[in-house]
Amino acid sequence: MTTSTGPLVLPGEALDPSLIPSHPKHPLRLGPGLRHIPPSDIVPTVAGQLTTNSHKNSLWVEANSNRYIPQQNDPILATLLRTAPDSYLLTLSPHTAPASLPHLAFEGATKKTRPILSPGQLVYARVALANKHMDPELECVNPATGKADGLGPITGPGCAFDISLGFARRLLMARSREEGGVGVLEMLAGEEPGITGGGLSFETAVGRNGRVWVGSESAATVIVVGRALQETDRNGLGMEGQRRFVKKLLREMK
Amino acid sequence: MPREAEPSLNEKQFVAQALQENLRLDGREFDQYRPLELSFGDQYGVADVTLGRTRVLAKATAEVTVPYADRPLDGVFTIATELSPMASPSFEVNRPTETEVLLSRLLEKTVRRSGALDTESLCLVAGQKCWSVRVDVHVLAHDGNLIDASCAAVVAALRHFRKPDTSMDAGVLTVYTPAEREPVPLSWLHSPFCVTWSFFGEEGDIAVLDATWLEEQVRVGSCTVSLNKHGEICQIAKLGGTPVDAVALLQCTNVALARVKEFSDMLDAKLAEDAKRRDKGGFMAELRAENDR
Repeated sequence: MTTSTGPLVLPGEALDPSLIPSHPKHPLRLGPGLRHIPPSDIVPTVAGQLTTNSHKNSLWVEANSNRYIPQQNDPILATLLRTAPDSYLLTLSPHTAPASLPHLAFEGATKKTRPILSPGQLVYARVALANKHMDPELECVNPATGKADGLGPITGPGCAFDISLGFARRLLMARSREEGGVGVLEMLAGEEPGITGGGLSFETAVGRNGRVWVGSESAATVIVVGRALQETDRNGLGMEGQRRFVKKLLREMK
Repeated sequence: MPREAEPSLNEKQFVAQALQENLRLDGREFDQYRPLELSFGDQYGVADVTLGRTRVLAKATAEVTVPYADRPLDGVFTIATELSPMASPSFEVNRPTETEVLLSRLLEKTVRRSGALDTESLCLVAGQKCWSVRVDVHVLAHDGNLIDASCAAVVAALRHFRKPDTSMDAGVLTVYTPAEREPVPLSWLHSPFCVTWSFFGEEGDIAVLDATWLEEQVRVGSCTVSLNKHGEICQIAKLGGTPVDAVALLQCTNVALARVKEFSDMLDAKLAEDAKRRDKGGFMAELRAENDR
């Protein structure tokens, strides 16, 4: 594995130079939670675990916070507040400034064919523009290909659940099981041997703003998946704990 | 004033639909409470009640004041509720929301007006001096069902509270410190508890106990019943919302009585446990100079 975890760091702490990766070709990339103070100081700005990737020559601080700050390219689950003349206004988290989603930022949308959304509708979108002093801008289409790539208004039966930002990040990892330590979804879907009664069919949409939508035809399935996710998040369950909780949920479901 | 963040349309529809299928989002039964946890502080009169993710802290204090002119033989008893922005960003200091007004009114009716505390026992010198007992309710986290949690916290704090002992000698009132004389408990007559039902569905035919914050935002009506373990109802509040069938309401009060008996037993057990923890084996044991090794 190219990603390695370092020690816990506190804001303002001096970093041990041996922890900073070096690469012959790539420049050093700083991720969230670190700040470069010229000429040569790297200082953590949040408390968390220092993590490095030697392949990409990058380092960042893994921290779990409650307040979502939009970053470009984050997938997010937003709620529609109201419609403006040429865009929709959505809220990413309660009591923050709304983000705007242009009417034409949907797959195949023109002035006449744009989707009509009602207030309160959940939308799965990507942050297209996130500047510090501006309201964020969203899009539901990949501007390079013109395809939706799974983004768009969320319809169909299902429910959104609140999770912590760190857990949302772990769920979104390409290998969430190995790197993020989250296996409840696979266990519930019956992809893990040794768990009977799995094989539930459901779909999820994870937003980096700490919301996850679980959709399924059966309401019981949605509730079981949502509870498994929230329990794993709130109680910090490990793999064994997750397995035990999923077994308990599946037993209760019968 | 910041508005409370509303749940999305998808969530509202799902909660309503799941309740039609006899399912709740956290997997509870309709008449099941979240686990109620109660702990007391080091001081007398501090109670911390946790109901799922809702957390309420109540603190009782007492001071000597002048009684009201129209009630010279009664002490003063007040309950102060203030919802701070810590519970939810939509609460502002010094600007009571509807939730806050309703909460303080219900606590007032349940605890004060039902005569749970014998205010005549708080009188020290008729018309001149009396105890003023005050309970401050702090909501630390808000995840629905504030009323039940606050009421349990207030009752627990008052049952746990000890006021300084006093004596009257030739017209001189002496208030003793805890070191001089053991503080004395309040004269407590009965322990009322609130049980809140939330109603869902077109006709309000689905009744649910201990609604979470999301469920509270979706419900069509609610009804708070206050009663003690003997089944004596102190008040019923059904403030607006969809009309509910009277027979269903009767059924609700029966279930509420069972819950209140559980709460009463739990509170008694916790108070006994706390008293045991504080009991160091009498006065002589406390005066002992020997250290624990």
